[in-house]
Amino acid sequence: MEKSTIVCRCEEINIEEIELAIKNGARTFDDIKRLTRCGMGPCQAKICMNPVREIIATYTNTPLEDIPPPRLRMPAIPVRLGALANGVEDFKESSIASVFGESVEDGDEQNDESV
Amino acid sequence: MVMNKMTKVFDCIIIGSGVVGSSIAYHLSERKKYEILLIDKSYPLSGTSGSTQAWVWVHSKTPNWYGELSMYSAELYAYLEKKIGDFEYKRTGGIAPFYNEGDRDKALKLAEEQGKVGIKIDVLTRDEVLEKEPAVSPKIAGATFSKWDGNLNPFRLVELYIRAAKKNGVQCSFYNRVTSIKKVRGIFHVETEQGVFQGNNVILAGGPWSKELGKMLGVYIPVRQVRGQILITEPLKPFLKYTIGGVRQTDNGEVLIGYSKEEVGYDRRTTLDVMQQTARMAIDLVPALAKANIVRAFSGIRVIPEDGLPIFGEIPGIKGAYIAVMHSGITLSAIVGTLMTELLIDGETSLDISRYSLKRFSNLPNRKI
Repeated sequence: MEKSTIVCRCEEINIEEIELAIKNGARTFDDIKRLTRCGMGPCQAKICMNPVREIIATYTNTPLEDIPPPRLRMPAIPVRLGALANGVEDFKESSIASVFGESVEDGDEQNDESV
Repeated sequence: MVMNKMTKVFDCIIIGSGVVGSSIAYHLSERKKYEILLIDKSYPLSGTSGSTQAWVWVHSKTPNWYGELSMYSAELYAYLEKKIGDFEYKRTGGIAPFYNEGDRDKALKLAEEQGKVGIKIDVLTRDEVLEKEPAVSPKIAGATFSKWDGNLNPFRLVELYIRAAKKNGVQCSFYNRVTSIKKVRGIFHVETEQGVFQGNNVILAGGPWSKELGKMLGVYIPVRQVRGQILITEPLKPFLKYTIGGVRQTDNGEVLIGYSKEEVGYDRRTTLDVMQQTARMAIDLVPALAKANIVRAFSGIRVIPEDGLPIFGEIPGIKGAYIAVMHSGITLSAIVGTLMTELLIDGETSLDISRYSLKRFSNLPNRKI
């Protein structure tokens, strides 16, 4: 294949860019992703997962089965934020914090201590 | 390949190549005085520094001397970008919304305290916020605002730190876990999966893994691991101008959303309940996001020192051993790399860093390490 062949269609990353990342020490799909954006687009690596693993295997002379797949995350396909939030009334009792709230709480405690 | 590992003695061995360790490696290497080795158990960006919204956040950091340190780091980033290359640093200005009018007095008090160190904060009314950032929900009561806050691309920043460090002669050993650290006749022997490295100085920059590294030196590092989960939208046309507490838009157009905190050790899974709560938070804050598609969730393990404040400087009682661990590494890496370099090479720092010493925890009851 040509070096300019596109492997990640979503982000338009070619073989040469992937090989450069491997040359710089990347050993997994996720290492390459963070350097090149390969696999970060709408399909979330569904198309490029195996071609990239094959390039790593060839380039590093490692059996394909030893190259881990990328970390898969929810959602499986894109989902509207509104659908995800549906049914959640508020998040006051959840693990979601507030930037403003934290600063004034911490500030009160620490200013008192420092007096 | 790192050469002569059995006989060579490095001037400094840095353990951890996240944003803090790689910044220290780069800033030390800039002086051209030290032979430096940077070691990581995995690959740069595989941990905390690669799983963040990457705010450079200043204005609500309290006490105000911590805010001041953050401000200096924001100041340095503009210049750093000229030296190591474009990491998409944008001083967008930051908006921290509050939902109850009763919070306005607290906001004014925050503005007064931060103003004493030169961090100018405007306490905005609802209408003033909406005028700045029309996409914000009219349900808010107001917000604190400062021009100092912004964001950057963490992938670019860490990659550029390491690229510049290597150019200055720093040796890197990735995918190489440190298994023990011993001090023999004044020299640190850092044992790794790929052999023993020797160094006159050693810096622990392990982020959430600092506790384990501290144990190797017999030192208790008082930090907690806290998981943060973040949602990413598909690329949207630019519509958020500012960095908002909880939400920001990248140069690519994706919106990053989230400000969750859970203590679940090193568990990096994403969970549907927190994703749903995060989605609700986002829509309450920026209603137009309801129609945006989420393409992915991710999570990172933050490190939070027990008192919330950065820990960096010498490790008391072990000459030549240093630590740098903090929650806001993306905000602070530029100033921490600069100060740690001054401390190691010059023996003194341009800012007083005694407040950040590990020493402050020494009056805690003795802890098992």
